[in-house]
Amino acid sequence: MLIDDDEIDLKINSKLISLAKIFDEIVICHSGVEALRYLNNELDQKEFTPIFILLDIQMPEMNGFDFLLHYRELSKSIINNCLIAMLSSTLDFGDIKKAEANPHVVKLLKKPLAINELLTILK
Amino acid sequence: MGSSNIRVLYIDDEENNLTSFKATFRREYEIYTANSATEGLRILQNIDIPIIIADQKMPNMTGVEFFQSISKTFPDAMRILLTGYTDIDALADAINHGDVYRYIQKPWNDLEIHNSIKNAHDAYRGKINLRNKVIELEKTNDELNRFIYSISHELRAPLVSVIGIVNLVKLENMYNSSGEYWSLIETCSNKLDYYIQKTLQYYKNNKAVEEKAEIDFKSLIDELVAVHSYTDIDTNFTVNVDQKIEFKGDLFRIEVILGNLISNAIKYQKIDELNKRVTINVTVKSNLAEITINDNGMGILNEHLEKIFVQFFKSKVHHGSGLGLFIVKEALNKINGRISVSSTIDSGTTFTITIPNAK
Repeated sequence: MLIDDDEIDLKINSKLISLAKIFDEIVICHSGVEALRYLNNELDQKEFTPIFILLDIQMPEMNGFDFLLHYRELSKSIINNCLIAMLSSTLDFGDIKKAEANPHVVKLLKKPLAINELLTILK
Repeated sequence: MGSSNIRVLYIDDEENNLTSFKATFRREYEIYTANSATEGLRILQNIDIPIIIADQKMPNMTGVEFFQSISKTFPDAMRILLTGYTDIDALADAINHGDVYRYIQKPWNDLEIHNSIKNAHDAYRGKINLRNKVIELEKTNDELNRFIYSISHELRAPLVSVIGIVNLVKLENMYNSSGEYWSLIETCSNKLDYYIQKTLQYYKNNKAVEEKAEIDFKSLIDELVAVHSYTDIDTNFTVNVDQKIEFKGDLFRIEVILGNLISNAIKYQKIDELNKRVTINVTVKSNLAEITINDNGMGILNEHLEKIFVQFFKSKVHHGSGLGLFIVKEALNKINGRISVSSTIDSGTTFTITIPNAK
């Protein structure tokens, strides 16, 4: 699952992931709210439960960290089978530390997304 | 009501003095009077008065005692003492503590009072103006920093998308499909990204307070070498770290310093050199860490050695941004570190830095 408010970045990252053939399916969410609704089965088109989420930090209204606060309230069956990596163009040390301190986050990846970095954390 | 709007509070236990003071000066100043320290305090609590004149000899509380009692609660007020007799000890003490701005002998001379009030008021205005200017300046500085910071973030986000697209182009094997255009786009994007990153580093160095963290030089340097040698796999690195004891320092700044120096050591290699090498030695002692970074690159002209730490200085031949070493120097200044350099043209450069151990 990709969560990002930037249309171009969504396009780039989904293309990159499908080219690298890491995952079978990708669901794209334009905001944290949309992602939560998808995960809560509030949307009709839910086809699968994601096992990996790439989460942007800087998003309007609900940013990546806000999303994580809601995410931990979700059912265990989702959380326990899913990894989250945050994705950001940030160089802010505080953000990096904050992301890596979160129990649900495996790593903060820097944009542009590099496939080998993604593969490393999926191992 | 006085014409100048300068407010003056006069405290004296003798009613006659209060009356005559008011009669003499009411045309020029806004005069408030009180016949005791308690009454004076009550007025101060209700009205903002910049100048206080008090008689020294009063029952219950002397003038000096009164001034001392309000020096914390009304620190800005200018305090003038009137004395009929000379109690030198109390007076000297009060003046040395900064509790009294002026002292005037009784019976007072009108001109002396006028001058004292005028000087006191000028000093008061100067003090307040200066403080306001400092507050204003701090605010402007802060805004500027935040502005630079957020603009750099906003600029960088779309730029990073561009670099992402170039990566996609490579993956889809279209990089060479349009002559050298894609590689030109990539070069320009990387250059712009470099400038933005350096700008962010510079402003963060200015703003951030020093933080002390434990530093493991071996892993830090290995990490930095990996990051910076990513684009250049020809250069051979030798890293020797002699760290037997704990080192504490500012991780962000040390990372910035070493990162810039390592990146330079790679960047300023000789193009035709077959055996490009960089040697990094670290010795950690109880009071400081000494780090030398030596390369066999192109070297620095003798006449340039003085200028390399100046902002926007770049050599004519090789285009850097003129920011890297400037930032290194600025960051070292913040953490009381030192740097020295020796270089021989065409055979290499050695930077030696020392950073205090904050353990």
